[in-house]
Amino acid sequence: MPRVTLETLPDYARHLITAAEDAAACYPAARTIRLPRLELIAHVAPGVLAEALGHAFLEAEDDLAEPSTCRIFTVHPGIGGIPEPARWGDAHFTEYGFAERLAGAELRGHYFHDLDFWQVYDPERRIGVQLMTSPDAFPPWEPTAPLRAFLHWEYAARGMRLTHAGTLGANGKGVLLAGAGGAGKSGTVAAGLLNGLDSVGDDYVLIDLAGGVTARPLFSTLKQDPQGFARLGLQQRLMIESPLNWQGKHTFHIADIAPRPVPAALDIVALVVPHIGGGETSSIVPVSRRDAMIALAPSGIMQMPGERESGFRFFGDLTRQLPSYRLSLGTHPEEIAGTLADFLTRVVS
Amino acid sequence: MTRDCDAYAVASRDIVFESFDGEAVVLNLANGKYFGFSDSGSRVWQALASGIDARALIGLTAGGSTLGAAELEHFISQLLELGLLVPSETAAQPLPGELPAELAATSEPLDVSIHDDLADLIIVDPIHEVEEPLGWPAVKQAS
Repeated sequence: MPRVTLETLPDYARHLITAAEDAAACYPAARTIRLPRLELIAHVAPGVLAEALGHAFLEAEDDLAEPSTCRIFTVHPGIGGIPEPARWGDAHFTEYGFAERLAGAELRGHYFHDLDFWQVYDPERRIGVQLMTSPDAFPPWEPTAPLRAFLHWEYAARGMRLTHAGTLGANGKGVLLAGAGGAGKSGTVAAGLLNGLDSVGDDYVLIDLAGGVTARPLFSTLKQDPQGFARLGLQQRLMIESPLNWQGKHTFHIADIAPRPVPAALDIVALVVPHIGGGETSSIVPVSRRDAMIALAPSGIMQMPGERESGFRFFGDLTRQLPSYRLSLGTHPEEIAGTLADFLTRVVS
Repeated sequence: MTRDCDAYAVASRDIVFESFDGEAVVLNLANGKYFGFSDSGSRVWQALASGIDARALIGLTAGGSTLGAAELEHFISQLLELGLLVPSETAAQPLPGELPAELAATSEPLDVSIHDDLADLIIVDPIHEVEEPLGWPAVKQAS
């Protein structure tokens, strides 16, 4: 099995892209997904990943902008001409060093060593390769937000950003819910959806800073741990029989609980940092932009490979454009949603 | 070796920072550590990062009291240990004219807080940590 080092990394990435393109006639299927400003063509073999591509996205059916096309080959050695994945051959590995080396060659990439799982992307040609040892040899988080690394690289090249945040809104205006895992984002989003508010995403949303802060949907998946699932009454409502995901959470979709079709966008009017308050009722108070930035940026940068400095600048610009608040979460979903709805009314007016 | 001045510079290109309403947030791109500063710490950080002579700060009003040499030295030593600043041999920059008034308006003592709960994850990947002495791909075993 070949070994790849920092020295040979760009050559290896280009080799994978060439091999995938040369094998284009051998792919069993291609799926086209319409996303904001982007047409994603994914070549994928039948299986869990292909199924995920079918239901994990919220497609941008009403996006009038002319899309650019990017093409992603999800490949494995069972496809003619596709090599076995190489292994990392240097003694040390850091995501940062890996990404910096590729960026110096105008490429992007990610490597998950447990599975010898490679993702490489040429943003100039908008062609990417996801190389796996077999059709289902992907990390367990991949089906929830498939191909997200490629979307991250492609949108970052356009000055937009996949952002690790939840959203809630009404009448086209909304808030961005920021914070690391466990802060209460997902429970808040689900509580809002169940009580009449809109959302364009719970985990990753696309943020555009051109002409204000706009959030657009990409992924449809919602997650809840069993306690939150029960507290929100979702067990009775959804009757889900599927196993918990790799995080021990139930997964479902926005459309399962949304009061109306998912809007194409929300104009974001505030950055809100939720936390488990411990009190009966919710409250919203101003928080410094410094604290809001520290709630928003680290997990957003941590969960995406590469583009670290541009992400820091982007989240800085975003934070600067919005008033920031801390949301102390009460214990009742209806009350939380009502507090946010009242807050939105006040901020917008 | 005795230096002619007491000036500093940002330690490397991997240290990036943004300022929000006068309050700084610093990120070390290489290791993922975030740093938040108090209001007076933010002003002093930005002054030091721009290469002013640190001695010019002593005796100014900051955080409701007079900035002493020991307090400033301790703060600078923190920034050096955290890898955010390095001593500079270039000529010190003059104290910006507005800085004394800005410092006088601060209410918190010099302080820097570290937010490194996500740093290990940023260095490696979203799920795994590695044994640092062994490096990749030796996955750290759960203790």
